[in-house]
Amino acid sequence: MVALDLAQLSVREANTRLRTLGEAGEDVEILNPDARHHIGVGLTAPVRVSVRGSAGYFCAGLTDQAHFNVSHNVGWGVGDNMYSGSVVVGGNAGAIPGVAIRGAEIVIHGNMGSRAGQVMKAGTLCCVGNANFMAGYMMYGGRIIILGDSGERLGEDMSAGEIFVAGKVENLGSDAMLTDTDQVELDQLHEFLDRYDIKAPVGFSKVVNAGTKLRYGTPEPPMRSIPFQSFSGTSPYWNPKVQEDIAIKSQSGRYRIRGYGGARPLPHLSDIGFRKNLTNAGSERDVVEQVRMATEIGGINGARPLNLSMPVMIAPMSYGAISRSTKQAIAIASAMSGIAENTGEGGMSDAQRDAAGQLIFQCLGGRLGWNIHDMRRADALEIYISQGAKPGLGGQLMAKKVTPELAKIRGIPAGIDLRSPSRHPDILGADDLVIKIEELREATGYEVPVSVKLGAGRIRDDIKIAAKDGFDFVELDGMQGSTGAGSAEVIDNVGIPTLPAIIEAVEALEEIGARDKVQLVLMGGLRDGVDAVKALCLGADAVAFGTSVIIAGGCIACMQCHVGQCVTGIATQDPEHEKRYKPENESQNIHRFLESVRWQIAAITDALGYDDVRQLGRDDLVALTPEAAYITGLPYEPVPVDTATSSTGTAP
Amino acid sequence: MCGIAGIMYRGVDQVFDTGDALIRMLDGCQHRGPDSTGFALYAPELSGRLKLRFFLDRLNEGGGHGAIDAIRRRLGELGAIVEEEAQVGDNYRVTVGFSGDVQKLSYEMERAAKVISIGTSLEIVKDVGSAHEVDDRYDVHEFRGTHGLGHVRLATESEVKPEAAHPFWATGFADVAIVHNGQITNYWKMRRRLQQREFEFTTDNDSELIAVYLADKLAQGIALKEALASSIEDLDGTFSFLVSTQDEIGYAKDRLAAKPMIMYQDENLVAIASEEVSLNRLFPGQALNTREPAPGTYATWSHSI
Repeated sequence: MVALDLAQLSVREANTRLRTLGEAGEDVEILNPDARHHIGVGLTAPVRVSVRGSAGYFCAGLTDQAHFNVSHNVGWGVGDNMYSGSVVVGGNAGAIPGVAIRGAEIVIHGNMGSRAGQVMKAGTLCCVGNANFMAGYMMYGGRIIILGDSGERLGEDMSAGEIFVAGKVENLGSDAMLTDTDQVELDQLHEFLDRYDIKAPVGFSKVVNAGTKLRYGTPEPPMRSIPFQSFSGTSPYWNPKVQEDIAIKSQSGRYRIRGYGGARPLPHLSDIGFRKNLTNAGSERDVVEQVRMATEIGGINGARPLNLSMPVMIAPMSYGAISRSTKQAIAIASAMSGIAENTGEGGMSDAQRDAAGQLIFQCLGGRLGWNIHDMRRADALEIYISQGAKPGLGGQLMAKKVTPELAKIRGIPAGIDLRSPSRHPDILGADDLVIKIEELREATGYEVPVSVKLGAGRIRDDIKIAAKDGFDFVELDGMQGSTGAGSAEVIDNVGIPTLPAIIEAVEALEEIGARDKVQLVLMGGLRDGVDAVKALCLGADAVAFGTSVIIAGGCIACMQCHVGQCVTGIATQDPEHEKRYKPENESQNIHRFLESVRWQIAAITDALGYDDVRQLGRDDLVALTPEAAYITGLPYEPVPVDTATSSTGTAP
Repeated sequence: MCGIAGIMYRGVDQVFDTGDALIRMLDGCQHRGPDSTGFALYAPELSGRLKLRFFLDRLNEGGGHGAIDAIRRRLGELGAIVEEEAQVGDNYRVTVGFSGDVQKLSYEMERAAKVISIGTSLEIVKDVGSAHEVDDRYDVHEFRGTHGLGHVRLATESEVKPEAAHPFWATGFADVAIVHNGQITNYWKMRRRLQQREFEFTTDNDSELIAVYLADKLAQGIALKEALASSIEDLDGTFSFLVSTQDEIGYAKDRLAAKPMIMYQDENLVAIASEEVSLNRLFPGQALNTREPAPGTYATWSHSI
């Protein structure tokens, strides 16, 4: 056994040593922990770690196989996302013990704080003392054993799993119910308690999901096929969109859910143009070679940056919302074009990892598919706070798409109408967020950039927090962004459009003198290289494309992404539908589109008189509408000399 | 978004190194708030006298000395007799003899200068920067007293400036201070109610509201414990806050318990903080028997218990 003394070493140094010792199979003793955070984070070796004293937040977080013993207390989130292995805590645990575990065993000999086992997927969380309120909140599986009393709202919105309580159950949460414990379960409980030398109580109350909220009462009725153009038309009264909305609600009796982006006119990048006459843009044949476009993202704090061949990446889209073949095609195309792909919510598959040259791994509140092993093989991590299409809401995946295979990777029951949590269990403010970022960095040895995805809302405040919390880059998503499924009311009516979003973000960073401390990646309805250049002029360091990539790969914009029977095989998990999708062809189509973007960016940058995209600036733009002039502060020039859209010609 | 800390030593008429203890506790949770740091420090009461602290950078009449002259003049006009004075960092610190209405004095002085705190026991020290940076400017470590509060702040919705740092003094009420982690969502509703009763607010910060809300109750003769109980009913939002008066310290925590708080108690002291790591800074190398206050609860302590 090797001793690591935290009176001498920082937690970061100790964790580095711990990982090396773990690989060598050496057990470790941690001295003078003094309630410091992140002890043992990222350890993936089958060794024993004894913490002599109290540990702080996320002790044993993001680990696999290791066995921890903490003699005293632990802070929030003990065993966060643990895969296998165990943690035994001699004293009390703070809030969210066993958050998002996927198979570990966690035993707390004292009391435990609120929301124990939030979004856990598998494994056992056992508390010998009392549990505070909302134990089992949004749990997707596994077992919670409480030998003392449980607090209020036990099992609130749990989807699956079991909670056994030996003491008093104060009251039950939404969609939870009491049921009987059978002998097999009782035997299993006794086996577990014996193993940890805990005296078994006489009996248990058992709490499970009551099954009233797992599926919508009425499935979402199919929409009629309305071309997007008329769907997004501007006629205010009884247009096809309004009629369809009423017709669908007359069947479902609730809010609507649909896929695709907002369908109402909003100020956008098309409302601004270039100041200069761009008639000759693209006339030089080798313009792509002449303009420097290579961009590094995420390296400003010392992590290994993404190396993009142009300031472009793929927007986050989940395996779940779209099919495995589509994710594969996008990954292939992104690698061919030398840009980064993004996993979205649904976890990382081997196929996607292998195909993508550079891959960003997204961490959401439900921690669906989130795990230490995939974090390690990611090129960047991304904490999702919200998205432009539905800021403040979690993802939705209708039952048709929640297949057994998909459920397995996410760690959830198959066949439910999945409504992902809108909030993270462990990020309730900017202060908690700092500790969370540090945990992700500890787990990946400070090598992988950690970014944040922000749906445009309170941008001025949010972007400042992102800067202060030290993210390596920010993905800012405007209201024109799309989604695989969301409330139609929210998609069309909630959010801040992409154009004011970038303006406000840049202003806010300048206000606190932090413009060079944050790299901004703008997304949300960007369509092509022209939009990309405008975004770069306004201050973005890079842009991301989602919908346009999907369209390049065959999407027909029918807005039925939520249904799960996508005729093109994109937004589906049904093998019958997916087989129509040919990733080997569509990856080529997406790649060609991305190369057209590259050519547009080069041609416009060159025509504006520059040889590097970093020379683009606000002075290159004018506003084409009074509204855009008001939003951007750009000069209002309603009759531009020429607009890029009409002057860039056709791609080679 | 912040980290909070509070400490009270047991023992009547004794003083302890409260400044040093709070510096250590705040250094332990500085990651929760790198923008600014502040201290509410209590010493035994000066009877018949008041300690006042002012920010000097907000005064624009002829630099520091002009500003100090203006404060002196106004204090004189209001019947306060200057006994001791000093310029400390960016603060003007003055002890006055005063026997009039403290609330009236406070509001008048607020109009003349930027008041940080007024009290017979209390002095607030707060500025941008870390606990150690603020200590370097104001020598907080030299402070010996009975109890105190501390705060580290990450500004989310307002600017980074000394005035927006915590602790907040209950404007108009001597010796009441607060540190708060969270967000009061019925701020404007509660503030309008208090303003209708002629209370004045010097910031738009929700923490000032809690301080004035509690001080108002205390001024009505309601015990601090009762005031904290009603605050949990009346205030909406997520909050963990600590309050201190001349002889008491207390906490309240909302029912959702989204903001952390942990406490340690022994025969010598009571210490409360956002995270156990701060408590452990008082006892390096020792595992502490701490307790997390339950959601929706409150408690108070005084020197004698």
